[in-house]
Amino acid sequence: MTVLAFAQARDLFGFGSREVECDPAETPRGLLLRLKPDANLSLLRVALDCEFADWDQPLGTATEMAIIPPVSGG
Amino acid sequence: MHVEIHFTPDPIIAPPEALPSREIGAAVEFRGIVREMEQGSALQGLYYEAYEPMARAVLQKHFGELAVLHPCAAVIFIHRTGWVPVGEASLFLRVLSAHRGEALAFLADAIDRLKQDVPVWKLVQAP
Repeated sequence: MTVLAFAQARDLFGFGSREVECDPAETPRGLLLRLKPDANLSLLRVALDCEFADWDQPLGTATEMAIIPPVSGG
Repeated sequence: MHVEIHFTPDPIIAPPEALPSREIGAAVEFRGIVREMEQGSALQGLYYEAYEPMARAVLQKHFGELAVLHPCAAVIFIHRTGWVPVGEASLFLRVLSAHRGEALAFLADAIDRLKQDVPVWKLVQAP
């Protein structure tokens, strides 16, 4: 799976894009805490294949996960 | 409703106004401009980052929902990416409708929704 990290999330996790091996039953929370055990996810949202998702839902067949910090467009 | 969504690294140039029908009675435009002062600091500009595929999908959903609330004929959305100097527009929106009320409401709600959950970020420096 491709994991994307934007804006402040890129600073937090130390990468903008990374390929990660994962199991379909794993959750976004589990995957990210595996990459960075001390990560604080409380202000972040997650998207699977360009749709907002729950931190604790299975990754399933998604091929891309994005870590979404608070948005600030405009 | 006609919908256009563009992300561009280039300065925004308002597209020519093409009226889709003779029933258009209101054309409302908004430009969001980068200000010098951001959280108490004087800046030269801002860097905009977008997760474009998702931003397009979320905007399409919002515009579809807003078209039910405020029926309009067309919306054109343009957002800059990359470095935007102070004084230049980072955002352009044009809404066309039969009456001003719908266009003004659509525009205001569209900007509110942009700031809720559309994955675009402004950074004080390039990543």
